[in-house]
Amino acid sequence: MPALIGFLWLIGYWLIGEVFVHFTGLPVSSGVVGMLLLSTTLAIRGRVPNSIAAAAQPLIALLAMLIMPGVVGVFFILDELAGQWPAILFALILGTLLSVTTTLWLLKRLMGKHHAR
Amino acid sequence: MPANALLSTLSATPLFAVGLTLAAFLLGNLLFKRLKKPTWLPAILIAALLLAATLAVIGLPYDTYRQDASWLTILLGPATVALGMPLYQQLPHIRALWQPLTICLPIAATLAACYALLIAWVLGSSPLILASIAAKSVTAPIAIGITEQIGGSAALLLGALLITGVATAAFVGLAARFLKIEDERIIGFALGLNGHAIGTVRAFEISPTAGAFASLGMSLTGIFTALILPLAWRLIGAGG
Repeated sequence: MPALIGFLWLIGYWLIGEVFVHFTGLPVSSGVVGMLLLSTTLAIRGRVPNSIAAAAQPLIALLAMLIMPGVVGVFFILDELAGQWPAILFALILGTLLSVTTTLWLLKRLMGKHHAR
Repeated sequence: MPANALLSTLSATPLFAVGLTLAAFLLGNLLFKRLKKPTWLPAILIAALLLAATLAVIGLPYDTYRQDASWLTILLGPATVALGMPLYQQLPHIRALWQPLTICLPIAATLAACYALLIAWVLGSSPLILASIAAKSVTAPIAIGITEQIGGSAALLLGALLITGVATAAFVGLAARFLKIEDERIIGFALGLNGHAIGTVRAFEISPTAGAFASLGMSLTGIFTALILPLAWRLIGAGG
């Protein structure tokens, strides 16, 4: 039963997010608004209620499965984007190498003096 | 009974698509463990390959499958909200390092998107492709929301996420050695910021500290990108 109560909370926050997005017209997704609301609530309460944990943990563990129907779609657009793949792959792989290096270098510089262990 | 009649009987109910998804997911995880968890072949990719092959063999059109599987994917909404729990649990790390993180995050998360966008744009990729790969470093449930906002293809986005995650897991070790970085907090943060969930899984293999910082990097990048990217996209679109 706690998991159901927690699940109802999660759905409730998502619906609040949906209403928020509808009325503000901001280009964010309802899930992200709900997520921020949930973590704000938890920060105010100072702990995670059992019901939320009971619903959130299994859902997070299942995230990979929930996105699978979408991932499969990539195999069905291979032909559509036939000539474009080299550019896409190159952009993703080189872009990732550059951004990984930048993040590491930047955070090392920023943490350098004051936050070394 | 002819195969066609069997398929149309089974696919008359969404439970067939749900069952296929569960089976492929569990089998993918099993194979992943049997193969000793290769970094370059995440469990989700194995599962997706199995599922795609199954759909092709039995002749179930992808659109029909996706429609029926929405009985599962509707849970992505509450699951995204659920990410607020680990985010709350990361707050102590944020408090301890808020100064370097507040400077690093916006720059690094912006560059994570911009490097790839710039390269793809120079190579002449279409606006649809650019919109689909822009959220490449964001964790999937949030990235799907962003991509819907800016008009990209969810399928291509998820492919881009896979490639980015695997590339991040491979490159962070190399780049850290090159820059002589041994601090697990920095390595973990870079893994989560660039490589979302796949990078975070890799970080937990290094150490719990690296994993915690990867979760932090993943959550903050997700939020930052979700708030900024659709707005930036709208502004650039309006200007050009």
